[in-house]
Amino acid sequence: MFKKFLSNKAYPIIFLTIIVAISVILLVVVNNITSPVVEARRMEEITGNLEKIFPDIDKYELKDEIYFVYGKDGEKIGYAFTASGSGYGGVIDILVGLNSNFEIEGVSIISQTETPGVGARITESSFTDQFKGLTINDIALKSGGGKIDAITGATISSNAVVSAIRDRMSEVLDTLESSK
Amino acid sequence: MNDCKNKNNCPQAEACNQQEQHIKSDKKSSSGFTKELVKGIITVNPVFILILGLCPVLAITNTVTNALGMSAGVIFVLLGSNIIISSIRKVTPSMVRIPVFIVVIATFVTILSLVIEAYVPALHKSLGIYLPLIVVNCIVLGRAEAFASKNPVLLSAADAIGEGIGFAIALLVISLIREIMGTGKLEIFGKQLFEVPGLSEHPLIFFISPPGAFLVIGVTMAILRLAGVMKYE
Repeated sequence: MFKKFLSNKAYPIIFLTIIVAISVILLVVVNNITSPVVEARRMEEITGNLEKIFPDIDKYELKDEIYFVYGKDGEKIGYAFTASGSGYGGVIDILVGLNSNFEIEGVSIISQTETPGVGARITESSFTDQFKGLTINDIALKSGGGKIDAITGATISSNAVVSAIRDRMSEVLDTLESSK
Repeated sequence: MNDCKNKNNCPQAEACNQQEQHIKSDKKSSSGFTKELVKGIITVNPVFILILGLCPVLAITNTVTNALGMSAGVIFVLLGSNIIISSIRKVTPSMVRIPVFIVVIATFVTILSLVIEAYVPALHKSLGIYLPLIVVNCIVLGRAEAFASKNPVLLSAADAIGEGIGFAIALLVISLIREIMGTGKLEIFGKQLFEVPGLSEHPLIFFISPPGAFLVIGVTMAILRLAGVMKYE
């Protein structure tokens, strides 16, 4: 009886359907367990990164993809936004903080896949600290009339960071202006 | 199910034949389990002998941490898929066996990817696309087709562990060479173990770049052959 069922023409279809069904159920269960953990971690990561730029941060609000950062007394101490550009080895995600005068408060590279030892040096503070206090017009490599020194041997990575920040920052400034 | 034997261009043909001889002798011997275990590490080493799954090997051996993470992932997926595929081998219609293998393997890989993303996010980030790509890693599918679909569960588990450890050892050797030469230091899960004076100031960056991977794998294989540690039987 069982052998006859195995040789049925529809059996392969039934078998594959069962396998896929079991797989789907299993994945739904695992995803339900892990997705809150992933979500919580992401929030933590954003707060941690914002803290690096704004040590006095108490809480933040996300509006129009811009983080409004509030201090301990509840006053607004700045804004932050994420920018992403494509570097030499993949996408570079950058978090940029602005003070209330729209000058850069700090820059932090969230993720990158640049060449270790060369392009990956964009994460070092000797590079990111250069952005501090700059307004949008100064954000360009020195060769392009700006105030940022490119990393030796990593012009593509440096330029990716600079232009990603500049492009996204002008959008963010527009949004902030219009919402005033 | 003998297509591996019939295809002359099958890269595994040699290994398959070799395995089949193993299987024949294992049916009578009680030491089959250990035999299958040891085989994957030396005589049928997936990277140095079968030369399978080289894409992730080239890509993620730039740091020892990545290599360890990838190895753990591949061992988990290999073990899981080998056990499941072996235990359903008698009811799996041969017509749809490849889709069945892929679904089983993809399920394990997705579970692995979800769990790593939740609990070891740094590793998830550094393995990137190569984590989901374990699905198409020829070692996993290769073991399913060549071994697990024809052998009992226990032997398949031994085969998976052996091949997995063989893969891990290969990755570890390559990544150790590449990380130490390419950065001048050794860092495992964020902890620096040692630093080579002189080399760390002027590291040979070539070694952590993709061409460096080809060179290290090729030279390592050549040395192993020369030393007679690993050779085609």
